[in-house]
Amino acid sequence: MFVETHSLTKRYRRIAALDACSLGVGAGEVYGLLGPNGAGKTTLLRLLLGYLQPTSGRATIGGLDCQRESVAARRLVSYLPGEARLYRGMRGRDVLRFFAEVRPGGDFRQALQFAERLDLELTRRVAFMSTGMRQKLAFAATMSSDSPLVILDEPTSNLDPSVRATVSEMIAEAKVAGRTVIFSSHVLSEVEEVCDRVAILRDGRCVHTQVISELRRKHRLSASLTGAIPTVPDELVDSVRVSSGSEGELVIEADELSPLLQWLATLPITEIKAEPIGLRAVYDQYHANTDTTA
Amino acid sequence: MIHVLIRRRIDESKWLLAACSIAMVWFCWLRVWLVSRLDTGRFKEILDLLPSDWQRYTPVDFAWLITYEGRISLVYDELIVVGCVSLWAIARGSDCVSGELGRGTLEMLLAQPLSRRAVMLSQAGVTVTGVAVLAFCAWFGTWCGIHTMSAKQVVAPAFQLPIPLPFVGSEIPIPFAEPETQYIPMVDLVEANLFTPASVSLFMFGLMLAGFSTLMSSWDRYRWRTIGIVVGVYGLQIVIKLFGMSADELAWLKFLSAFTAYEPEAFVRIADEFPQFTWSFMMRRSDGTWIGYGPMYFHAIMASIGVASYAVALRIFSRRDLPAPL
Repeated sequence: MFVETHSLTKRYRRIAALDACSLGVGAGEVYGLLGPNGAGKTTLLRLLLGYLQPTSGRATIGGLDCQRESVAARRLVSYLPGEARLYRGMRGRDVLRFFAEVRPGGDFRQALQFAERLDLELTRRVAFMSTGMRQKLAFAATMSSDSPLVILDEPTSNLDPSVRATVSEMIAEAKVAGRTVIFSSHVLSEVEEVCDRVAILRDGRCVHTQVISELRRKHRLSASLTGAIPTVPDELVDSVRVSSGSEGELVIEADELSPLLQWLATLPITEIKAEPIGLRAVYDQYHANTDTTA
Repeated sequence: MIHVLIRRRIDESKWLLAACSIAMVWFCWLRVWLVSRLDTGRFKEILDLLPSDWQRYTPVDFAWLITYEGRISLVYDELIVVGCVSLWAIARGSDCVSGELGRGTLEMLLAQPLSRRAVMLSQAGVTVTGVAVLAFCAWFGTWCGIHTMSAKQVVAPAFQLPIPLPFVGSEIPIPFAEPETQYIPMVDLVEANLFTPASVSLFMFGLMLAGFSTLMSSWDRYRWRTIGIVVGVYGLQIVIKLFGMSADELAWLKFLSAFTAYEPEAFVRIADEFPQFTWSFMMRRSDGTWIGYGPMYFHAIMASIGVASYAVALRIFSRRDLPAPL
């Protein structure tokens, strides 16, 4: 694993901001972090960057300890904070140049290309930029380096939908280039779109890890029958869950669609509706009634 | 990488340094001009009007203070000179950690492969260099004043009766003639190098203050609070020093104030009257008897406080958690 945490814990007196979090992110993977405010996403990222000292446990990036070898570990990382604050007196172009120069492997020309794609006005001073423009500027600066790991903390929170699409595109390009991306967000659809795997955090704990490709294979079917509800065949028992059913109504969640459809074809069905389960359903298992954006 | 960081530090502080430097040179030059305009005799009359108790508030005798050297040395205690160095040291020192934390710029900066040591030392390097520039500006302003001004002096007439006095060999002066006003270049009256120890003392004072401000900044989260604490301690130290000077029974208080080590007039006087002790830690007579601590001793006290503060600040900053910006 390229990024690993082992029972990583951060406590502030009695409050556990992160509680025994163990996870691993493979090289070249796009890894999502999901959870409501206060779930521990940002704490986890700040521990990886060495901003915080863990109460217990450890974290490594590329085999380097995030605390003891913080500078070497950060050589492998580009980080975009949730609300990027830049030097207010600098112009956009100077910000990109500064971050390209201060980081070994920084590429000013690449940063300019990203800025152009994000439609940034680089002659303006940061102080006179909107929050979204500052976020785009910081994003361009972050993505322009050649570091193997990119950590993005809610990168699209202040961006309009068209720029969000460009950001998602750029993350996909980073993945194609073999870079590892850790992506924290509240926007489930966005996470589902760009991530290979997602960790769901609750109260500082990593409560579930979901492989997105597995999620895409899962479907929920609602069917109306003319007869009684049949018994599920033995060969499908492990991959099918009849979650609810009323008179003549059948709701099925299936891991694999094709064997289920073969079985359904033998039943007296009058109406059927199939839809992918989606990240929302998984997320709701752990965080019903919490604030997220579909 | 570090040079990029240093360039950034210079960029963000250059206007403050430029303004303070101009104020220093201009004010020190102006102060020499004022000294040159006021005759020594008239200055003595002013001092004679002061109660004798006031002597205890200066580290030097009034008799020396009325000399050109003495009067020019007072510039190093003037509000503008001490104020400019204090402003620079507190502004830059407090910005080091709590300032950057508050603005949120530290987060993006430390996302780069830069050690916290590099971040702090780049800031400290520029701050201390700035203090050195300001101390030099004070000396340079004084030098400019000395080399461009002429002192107004009222002297007895030079004209003598050409009748030699028997046995004495001198001529009879004419007492009825009007005294002459002469303008003598200051450079013939005062040597600018005498003020080097005062500038060194000013530098050490700035170093101490910058170190302390950085120390407070290193554990704090809010810059306004850092500045508040530093200014509070600053005021308290001045009050303690003044109380220590005001009465013999309170003299022990002087040892509780770091500002006691900042006595530029005393160092100029030592350079003027005992040049062999200008750079001494201890002053002893030729027979080995003790006179007192030399200027270097006081410079070293302030430098030690400054360097120790920076060392502790570095330790705190290297180990502390960096909270997310508000």
